[in-house]
Amino acid sequence: MRPQVIFHSFGYLTQSAGTTLALSLAGIALGFLIGAAVCAARLSRQAWLRRLGGAYVSVFRGVPLLVLLLFIYYFLAEYGLDIPALVAAVGGLALSSGAYQAEILRGAFNALPRGQAEAAVALGFPGIEIWRRVLLPQALRISIPPLINEFILLLKASSLVSVVGIAELTRVSMNIASSTYRPLEAYVGGGLFYLAINLCLAGFGAIAERRLAAGAAR
Amino acid sequence: MKTIETIGLTRREALKTGLAATAAVGGLLGAGRAAWADTLADIKSRGELVAATEMQFPPFDISDNGVYKGVDRELIDAVGKELGVKVSYLDLPWTSVLPGLEAKKFDLCIAPVTITKERLKRYAFSVPIADATAALMKRADDKSIAKPEDIAGKTVGGQKGTSQLEQLKAFAAKLPKPVEVKEYVDNNESYADLAAGRIDASVNSLPNLAYAAAQRSDAFAVVLPPFGQPTYFSWVGRLDDKSLLDAINAAIVKLDGDGTMAAIQKKWFGQTMDLPTTVPEPTI
Repeated sequence: MRPQVIFHSFGYLTQSAGTTLALSLAGIALGFLIGAAVCAARLSRQAWLRRLGGAYVSVFRGVPLLVLLLFIYYFLAEYGLDIPALVAAVGGLALSSGAYQAEILRGAFNALPRGQAEAAVALGFPGIEIWRRVLLPQALRISIPPLINEFILLLKASSLVSVVGIAELTRVSMNIASSTYRPLEAYVGGGLFYLAINLCLAGFGAIAERRLAAGAAR
Repeated sequence: MKTIETIGLTRREALKTGLAATAAVGGLLGAGRAAWADTLADIKSRGELVAATEMQFPPFDISDNGVYKGVDRELIDAVGKELGVKVSYLDLPWTSVLPGLEAKKFDLCIAPVTITKERLKRYAFSVPIADATAALMKRADDKSIAKPEDIAGKTVGGQKGTSQLEQLKAFAAKLPKPVEVKEYVDNNESYADLAAGRIDASVNSLPNLAYAAAQRSDAFAVVLPPFGQPTYFSWVGRLDDKSLLDAINAAIVKLDGDGTMAAIQKKWFGQTMDLPTTVPEPTI
């Protein structure tokens, strides 16, 4: 073990960790919007919307992210749809994560006792207010731990975007391993960066949970 | 993670997967492809040649703190100068390189690929850019191996699907004691196991091994002479891009003649090597 290898490549690792973080955050944010929309569709009164939401989840949760990325980047190009690598990477992450996030949110809404909405109706709350003041805050609180889980999984899964030619953290660790012939040091370096980022994510999750819990106690 | 380990790292000559995937994609979409575009004319009008490789194959392709270096880099830059265009480089995992070539995401694969009969049917090869003859590497302190035949009764590792590993198996079959062959998805893993003592030797092409041993002379030494039949590395283009390959071949032959090639070889391999100036008939 020669730690110098890690120090020597520190700038390169930091830069690629930035790429990993930026791609993952974009994927998470976009995935949350997709997830919210798909969850709304799955909870809709319209049967066709429910079916559409169900189909989305089945497809994008069922197809491996690697295959999805290859499909977007290479397969669509065969039809003349030349998608830039960055768009393919963020799009793939978001489409895949959206399916998982939709199910997390749906689970949270389903966990709320029916009586709450009924009580709100009885108290004369208008429909939109029931959502805004009664259901949404509670559902969000329930979904925070699994959402943080999903964010961390997504960040680690983002190593797959190297198949479209993006130099993210894992890819760069491999590059360092092959150019220095010191794989152990290179992967330890990359692993430490992942760990640091994910500890931060978990920390934010804990803060968010405390905030929302304080709201509930009031 | 498992997926990327197995898929992302399969390399160079693990072409079978690539072939199957591209055959499937190509077969499905063959009809829908826009076939007639002259890539060479395109490159000239763009003023840019887009080349792809996996930058994990020293001394050919190295990403040194994010800067692309190596034999391929210097050679394609010189070829670009001959063609009067600028060259840009894409770093793709090996499994993505050939599908990307077929999907026209770039113009040329500058990863060194061993010419074989099978591959000639699907891809257009350039004239050779380097020697690819199979050789062995051992631990620097291992006195029990002095010549290739000494691997009899020992364990040797190499990258799965490579022509060098196939040559090793053929060579081992003729030895008095059986050789245990361990297959890896990536040469670098085979080197790591060699350093760790799990195997006694690694097989790869001579230029790759010579460079690895020079970089880590504390750990590795090359076993000379190479044991394999003479084979060569070439670059790969699409079959229908004949005009592009012709232009690139003419440039390589010119660089071979004016000493540029020899200078690059001297710098990276520590010695010069004679290369055929036509695409050779594959022996394997």
